Amino acid sequence: MAFLNVDQINKHFINERKEEINALSDLTFLCHDGEFLCLLGPTGCGKTTILRIISGLEQPDNGQVLVNEQGVHGINQESTLVFQQYSLFPWRNVIDNIAFGLEMRNINRTKRYARAQEFIDLVGLRGFEKAFPYELSGGMQQRAAIARALAYDKRLILMDEPFGALDERTRHRLQEELLNIWRQQRKTIIFVTHNIDEAIFLADRILIMHDRPGYVENELKIVLPRPRDRKSPDFIKLHIGIREVLEDMLNSG
Amino acid sequence: MILPVIILLIWEYYAVKFNNPALLPRVEMVFDRLIHPFDNLLNTGNFVRHIFVSATRVIFGFLLAAIVGIPLGLLAGRYLLFHRLFNPIIEILRPLCPIAWIPFALAIFKTYTVTNVFGVRYSTSIFEHIQLGMLFVIFYGGFFPIFINTIHGVSSVKNSYVESALVLGATHGQLFRKIILPSSLPAILTGLKVGLGVSWMVIIAAEMMPGSDAGIGYLIMFSYELAEMDILMASMIIIGVVGTILSGIVKVAADQTSFWQAKER
Repeated sequence: MAFLNVDQINKHFINERKEEINALSDLTFLCHDGEFLCLLGPTGCGKTTILRIISGLEQPDNGQVLVNEQGVHGINQESTLVFQQYSLFPWRNVIDNIAFGLEMRNINRTKRYARAQEFIDLVGLRGFEKAFPYELSGGMQQRAAIARALAYDKRLILMDEPFGALDERTRHRLQEELLNIWRQQRKTIIFVTHNIDEAIFLADRILIMHDRPGYVENELKIVLPRPRDRKSPDFIKLHIGIREVLEDMLNSG
Repeated sequence: MILPVIILLIWEYYAVKFNNPALLPRVEMVFDRLIHPFDNLLNTGNFVRHIFVSATRVIFGFLLAAIVGIPLGLLAGRYLLFHRLFNPIIEILRPLCPIAWIPFALAIFKTYTVTNVFGVRYSTSIFEHIQLGMLFVIFYGGFFPIFINTIHGVSSVKNSYVESALVLGATHGQLFRKIILPSSLPAILTGLKVGLGVSWMVIIAAEMMPGSDAGIGYLIMFSYELAEMDILMASMIIIGVVGTILSGIVKVAADQTSFWQAKER
């Protein structure tokens, strides 16, 4: 039984020139409990829209999202979303940002600070509890955003290119940390990226997305043992293979 | 500090040259008035009393403007329906200077004070000096900067903050209290600062109108009629100083709550 079931979702937009854009067309896929799923595709192919629909921030034209075979109405109470950047509340310090989800559940300050502190330690932000977002580097801000999502404690974490704005070194380090956290916390993660390398490094399974309309073009199970070595021949072969699929797709489309 | 000294020197030069205190008093005469704030002036009471009366009027009218302006601004900023409802009235009323309302307010409210409304009969009560007409124009002057800045603050709350809060389980009420309000607080405080400044200007004008019996604006008009230019100029200096102090107080509050905004990327 699938944990998450995205069932024949259609979504269109009207752009500024009053043209109809078919963002998602009969999009269907499953995600298993505890799985690390990557959605890979060119920028602007509706990947963000998928996450927004799963989280309940947007409604599909038709089709439905099922969690444990229950339809999602309004905001999805089983998931949370990590945005690409600048989603920390600038008027709150790090610990109050991370404890935000607990505060919304009316958990008292002592308890939520204790809980938030665990995740601050987990993402390596100890000592920055009282710092404000503007005092943090981009990488530290995304660590805090991830900690905030973890502290909210939902099975499913949706991530929309969370490392997209970071430099390569920081990105690689955060990828490793994310994998550790994922294993330790037993979360289900749906991770959107346009970076092939990132998808191979992280995913149990990669869904290669078709662009406009968006649907799953190709599905790929990554069986390489972790920690994955970017320089290993298998990794490189996968990288080349996926690149060809993407290029074919772009040329034919 | 060089410019004020030059102005004082020019002032003193012409005061000595004219040698006519009913036209231009000497600097030391005005200064002498300022360092004796408790001296009775022209049988109307002292400076402190007049400042107190003016400040009380402004504070009451301004609080009223804030109490009405902030909630209405929050509604109009958040809900298009309210925005559409208020917008046409606001666009017509906004260019209408509050001072233009003073004669109208005098005609409608005459010299009724807060005391009359509540039927209290204390002859010493400060409320006796808060004329409804003055309250109305101060309210009017303070309302628009507060209202319009609040709308601006609410409608420019970043969507990513709202959506982050929603996916972290915020309810509608929590969204308002924990995101919309703190995020628009710097803009609201800007509105309060401007509104307080306008209120202070308007009250001086209102106090110069007939029917007024106290306040720093009244003192200016009365000392003009008696050609007591030293009192008149001392009053003007006091208006400037009090205005600076008032906006300084709001600025301190604003800086404490908006520190994050200047540094936000």
